[in-house]
Formats: sequence, structure tokens, C-alpha cells
Amino acid sequence: MPLYVVNSRPGAICDEAKAKIAKDITDIHCEVTNAPPTFVHAFFFEEAPHIPLGDKIALLFGQIRAGRTEDQKAEIVERMSASIHEHTSISRKDISASTTDTPASWVMEGGDLLPEPGEEAEWLAAHEAKLTSS
Amino acid sequence: MIPTMCMVQSGQVPADFQAQLREDMEGFARRSFGASPEIRWIEVPERSGFTAGLASTSILVSMQSSKPLEAPRRVELLKELCDIWIKRTGKSMNEVVCVISDPKN
Repeated sequence: MPLYVVNSRPGAICDEAKAKIAKDITDIHCEVTNAPPTFVHAFFFEEAPHIPLGDKIALLFGQIRAGRTEDQKAEIVERMSASIHEHTSISRKDISASTTDTPASWVMEGGDLLPEPGEEAEWLAAHEAKLTSS
Repeated sequence: MIPTMCMVQSGQVPADFQAQLREDMEGFARRSFGASPEIRWIEVPERSGFTAGLASTSILVSMQSSKPLEAPRRVELLKELCDIWIKRTGKSMNEVVCVISDPKN
């Protein structure tokens, strides 16, 4: 968590572009939220039925920890849409992006419940200590 | 039925392991929620999964509980679910992400 899923029409996003967009997704999310990059997952699909494209060529859907502000979420979707446009030939009007909130307390990653937004440093320190001692 | 999504990287879980995991998930869902899981198994295509901007080896498993859960119970279930996947796949705990959500109203 976060999990960003990008669905697109076949051939719309080449492998090289996926890697660049994934890096942007990671950087954008971390810049906007101060979350560590180790939490950021970005997966790409083509015409995946579980993420209907509708009339779009590309669709980004982000499942993020609850607690981000509306401004943060708006900046995330705007900048990630721009990244998809920049690295492909897909026009902005053919890209849709949105996020949904998931409580951190519903998610286990690295063997522990995820921290609430803003508490990542303590979580990571405790997690590292656990790994070192095991 | 318990809505369940299992998202793995391409080629990460061979067919026989998948069959065993489906059995494990059936048992877990019945014990935990009193119903069978309705599993959607999704493979992330090759060269299409990234974690921290690098090629991903992460597995994501998401289930929706049949009733709202108190925090201690959710933690127990999350630990058990993560353990199932870690033991069956041989992945580290850093590579397995589990979500158990409350029912949608």
C-alpha cells in the first residue's frame, strides 16, 4: 500500500514507458505524502476486466492509505496522469485517474499493520530492528 | 461468499501451488468468516509490476470480511493470512501484502 494499478488498451503503454511511469508514480506519491518508496506498488495491465476502461485509453486507480488531504489526492492524480501522457502518445482526455482510501489498520505489510500517515519513520525503525534481531 | 483478490507477479506461483493456495484460502475463509472465498486470481504481466520503482516480487491478497471486525481480531486474521502465503510461496514477509476490509455498506 499504496497500490497503483494502470489499465490500458493493448499496446498503448510499452515496457519502457511502464518503467518510467512506475518511477514517476513512486516519486510523486512519496513527494506528496512523505511516505517511503518501499510501500509504493505500481502494476500495469492491458484491458484487465477488473478495472473497466470505459471510453478511456488508460486508467490509473490508486488504493492509498486513508488520511491524505483532498489537495494531496488531487495533486497525485494530476501529476500521475501527466506522467502517463508524457511517456506515451495518449492524450490527457483519454486518461482517467482516481484514488480510493483504505484504513492503514486494514493492511499488513512486512509482517506488521501499516502505520498511519505520518508515522512511517517509527514503523520503519521498529521493522528494521525486528529484521536485525531475527 | 467472501470477495477475495489474489494478485501475483507473472510466473511467481506455479499451477500446483495455486491449487494448494486456493485450498488454503477456502479453509481460512470458512474458519474466519463462515463462508467460501470467491477468488479472483490476477497475474501481473511480465515487466509490468513495480515496487519502489523497481521490478516487483510482491504479492497482494485482499479479502472482504462478512462482518465488521474489531482491531485485535483483524490483526489475528491478517497474520494468519500472511503466514499462509509466506509459507506456501516461500516469499519473505516484506513481499506479501494482505488486506482484510470491512463489508461495503
